[in-house]
Amino acid sequence: MAQPLVKKDDDRDDEAEYSPFLGIEKGAVLQEARVFNDPQLDARRCSQVITKLLYLLNQGETFTKVEATEVFFAVTKLFQSRDIGLRRMVYLMIKELSPSADEVIIVTSSLMKDMNSKTDMYRANAIRVLCRITDGTLLTQIERYLKQAIVDKNPVVASAALVSGIHLLQTNPEIVKRWSNEVQEAVQSRAALVQFHALALLHQIRQNDRLAVSKLVTSLTRGTVRSPLAQCLLIRYTSQVIRESAGSTQAGDRPFYDYLEGCLRHKAEMVIFEAARAITELHGVTNRELTPAITVLQLFLSSSKPVLRFAAVRTLNKVAMTHPMAVTNCNIDMESLISDQNRSIATLAITTLLKTGNESSVDRLMKQITNFMSDIADEFKIVVVEAIRSLCLKFPLKYRALMNFLSNILREEGGFEYKKAIVDSIVILIRDIPEAKESGLLHLCEFIEDCEFTYLSTQILHFLGIEGPRTSDPSKYIRYIYNRVHLENATVRASAVSTLAKFGAMVDSLKPRVFILLRRCLFDSDDEVRDRATLYLNTLGGDGSVVETDQGVKDFLFGSLDVPLVNLETSLKTYEASEEPFDINFVPKEVKSQPLAEKKAQSKKPTGLGAPPSGPASTVDAYERLLSSIPEFSNFGKLFKSSAAVELTEAETEYAVNVVKHIFDRHVVFQYNCTNTIPEQLLENVIVAVDASEAEDFIEAGSKPLRSLPYDTPGQTFLAFEKPEGVPAVGKFSNTLRFIVKEVDPTTGEAEEDGVEDEYQLEDLEVVAADYILKEQVFNFRNAWENMGPDFERVDEYGLGQRESLNEAVTAVINLLGMQPCEGTEVIASNSRSHTCLLSGVYIGNVKVLVRLSFGIDSSKEVAMKLAVRSEDGTVSDAIHEIVASG
Amino acid sequence: MILAVLFANSEGNILVERFNGVPAEERLHWRSFLVKLGADNLRGVKNEELLVACHKSVYIVYTVLGDVSIYVVGKDEYDELALSEVIFVITSAVKDVCGKPPTERLFLDKYGKICLCLDEIVWKGYLENTEKERIKRMIRLKPPTEF
Repeated sequence: MAQPLVKKDDDRDDEAEYSPFLGIEKGAVLQEARVFNDPQLDARRCSQVITKLLYLLNQGETFTKVEATEVFFAVTKLFQSRDIGLRRMVYLMIKELSPSADEVIIVTSSLMKDMNSKTDMYRANAIRVLCRITDGTLLTQIERYLKQAIVDKNPVVASAALVSGIHLLQTNPEIVKRWSNEVQEAVQSRAALVQFHALALLHQIRQNDRLAVSKLVTSLTRGTVRSPLAQCLLIRYTSQVIRESAGSTQAGDRPFYDYLEGCLRHKAEMVIFEAARAITELHGVTNRELTPAITVLQLFLSSSKPVLRFAAVRTLNKVAMTHPMAVTNCNIDMESLISDQNRSIATLAITTLLKTGNESSVDRLMKQITNFMSDIADEFKIVVVEAIRSLCLKFPLKYRALMNFLSNILREEGGFEYKKAIVDSIVILIRDIPEAKESGLLHLCEFIEDCEFTYLSTQILHFLGIEGPRTSDPSKYIRYIYNRVHLENATVRASAVSTLAKFGAMVDSLKPRVFILLRRCLFDSDDEVRDRATLYLNTLGGDGSVVETDQGVKDFLFGSLDVPLVNLETSLKTYEASEEPFDINFVPKEVKSQPLAEKKAQSKKPTGLGAPPSGPASTVDAYERLLSSIPEFSNFGKLFKSSAAVELTEAETEYAVNVVKHIFDRHVVFQYNCTNTIPEQLLENVIVAVDASEAEDFIEAGSKPLRSLPYDTPGQTFLAFEKPEGVPAVGKFSNTLRFIVKEVDPTTGEAEEDGVEDEYQLEDLEVVAADYILKEQVFNFRNAWENMGPDFERVDEYGLGQRESLNEAVTAVINLLGMQPCEGTEVIASNSRSHTCLLSGVYIGNVKVLVRLSFGIDSSKEVAMKLAVRSEDGTVSDAIHEIVASG
Repeated sequence: MILAVLFANSEGNILVERFNGVPAEERLHWRSFLVKLGADNLRGVKNEELLVACHKSVYIVYTVLGDVSIYVVGKDEYDELALSEVIFVITSAVKDVCGKPPTERLFLDKYGKICLCLDEIVWKGYLENTEKERIKRMIRLKPPTEF
């Protein structure tokens, strides 16, 4: 028994001694590198030192310029040795050192010698090293040899030259482009790798010449390509040619499809997969084209190789976004992947299933996911949670099962990002599915009972304060909120106090009890909590009896702050303490307009708690307050709708102007938001002069000029028109910005006294029918349609003429009417020939309207549409038809 | 492009680290990301069994060979399938040099040769050679046999 034990110990000793890099240290190795200078070179020793240097470099160690240059010079001495192994090391070492060493050019002559050597392998390696250290002048000198090397009989030499060409193309494109004849020849090489490298280089040389790429693809798809890697490249280039020629060919005879389909039967999996993916990514791919690709991907799903399973499920996941039905055949195979050892594969499988699943499979799927969730990392869980959220919005009737699932995983362990994703999802579901509200709020309440994240607790408390008072039984939430006052840190306690006060303000019957609780908070150890409690008790007023809270108080306490926080912050920063107190009324109310890209990025994702919705209600509220504060417009009555801002100037012009159209029953007010982007100018008496000759129904009824418009501080000027009551009058307005401009001294910031009158042409503005219709979401369109009844139903058919696609026609009609698409019917499958779109809205005069649009497209792209309208008023139904008929 | 080839021992220490087109300040991040990925997933994985992951538009294929874990990171044309080809070439070359799936000691012993192999396989982010026989000859500066 003792024997083997001893032996094992010996082994271990060996191991420690044996490790060639034990205690390796840069300084010592650099010392050792002096052996390179020995007159009698010891090749073995030199190789060992080079290995040590490589080890250091490969560990991320860096050499200073001096160190690198010193070693580099020493290494060049090793060209004297005839030892082949050492020479190979030297090539590698020069490449590794060349980026950090000076004077690398010193080695050129040795390399040029090797490049013309009779030994092929010297040639190949010398080419690779030379290309690493070369510049334009040197390259012209060696170009002749490189061109020869590309067509060298030895595939290693040819590949070395070709791959060098790929790299050199980045730095010296004009030289490498001269090699295209040789590269063309190399593409026909019998050596697989040479063909691969040559094809890559040739494509890069010609990538900006569409015709040349097309010719290259045409000739190669007909010939034979030996290397599977080259075949993959060819498939990619073919996809590119197909993409670029899209639109110029008739549907039905897509060029090169047969080639791609043929590649699905190739013997290399890499090629099969590449072709399958290329087919799935074809623009406007039909189901018939998709089928063979989906079939091979389905086979890959059950492959024993994880990479193939991953690749297949990743591609199917993408297809499921646009063609969910095409992927349903693979559902069974994907379900078995949920238990795949590789969690990336399992997550992709689940998210794909969530996209392709139908309403009936939701419950079964949820059961499988529950088992799966416990053993994956947070980042995967977040992906699943997001997929479940979309699923729930797609099948609102299934909210119970999905909400339960979310609440269950909320109770389990997890990091902040994961918990936030779940809470955000629950909040979005509460907002979008009214039936889910009560259960969702209770889940959130239970969560904050044991929530370790202050941020989430405060956000949920804020949300509870908004939604809780509007439920059927608000009192049941009080316990959860008040518990926070006892159990949490000061930040959460302060939030809880605010939430309690909201319940007190909104629910009169709860007021006395809330008062008792708030009074207890007066003794809190934290001053912010005490301050809030005092503020609320005093402002809500009274002695805590059941009385209605004054609307003004509610607005003061819980209304949105009328000014953007950014502006408030800037104003506070510039405020200098003086006798005059800070006045919030002087804070500019207009948000600086953001670049368009930023706006788009923001609107992409549904927002959860982090960003409270800037929904139409709150924006309209803000506008309403703004307009009613202007005496000229205060008697216009209730604001019906405010449009989104329409830009009247190009981006980055001297003056940026956009306009918001405010629709009242008998008036229209244009709010021009102006920004002066020239630091050297101050504009005064800014007004927009409007020519309304193409808007006959409108009569100018008042205006409010902008007194002063300093640099980079947005301001507004208004113009009001009268129009016939309740009539959706339309018209076109041409606008000119008029102002007095004064020069500003940039150093002092002071403006000159005298100014010059000037004007600036703006884009035209139109008031259209859609401005008179409010978007309104309905969750069960069929119910709403039945409830509306057929009394005022109007049905008619329209020809929409030739359209690019069905999608384009549907979008055009939705935009024309300005109504809310329901149940996701604004999305249409890319190849469908017919589609039904459901819209809902409120017409001016507060009349509800529902619209059912049925579209059909024929082979010549003629689109026909049947429009069925139901509303509470026959004239409104007629008006909708008129809008469509005249649009 | 093949963004990175990385070898680590079973404790997560780096043995070889080669980056292409990755800014210096991001390398440390990649190193720790990959090592963590391996620590989370490679336990109990068989030799040369491939694991795959993607992080944004970047793909990662990784595996174990003896005491050494190997990671290959790529983007664009070097997707998971191309990378699996790359890692296959790397593992077979390493096995060939070491004679078997290496222990850490054996790997370090053959370090120089392994570096030469990598130099033949990946050339500044592009796959250059794919056959282990050819690589075996080329690191000794011998022309390929088929020629």
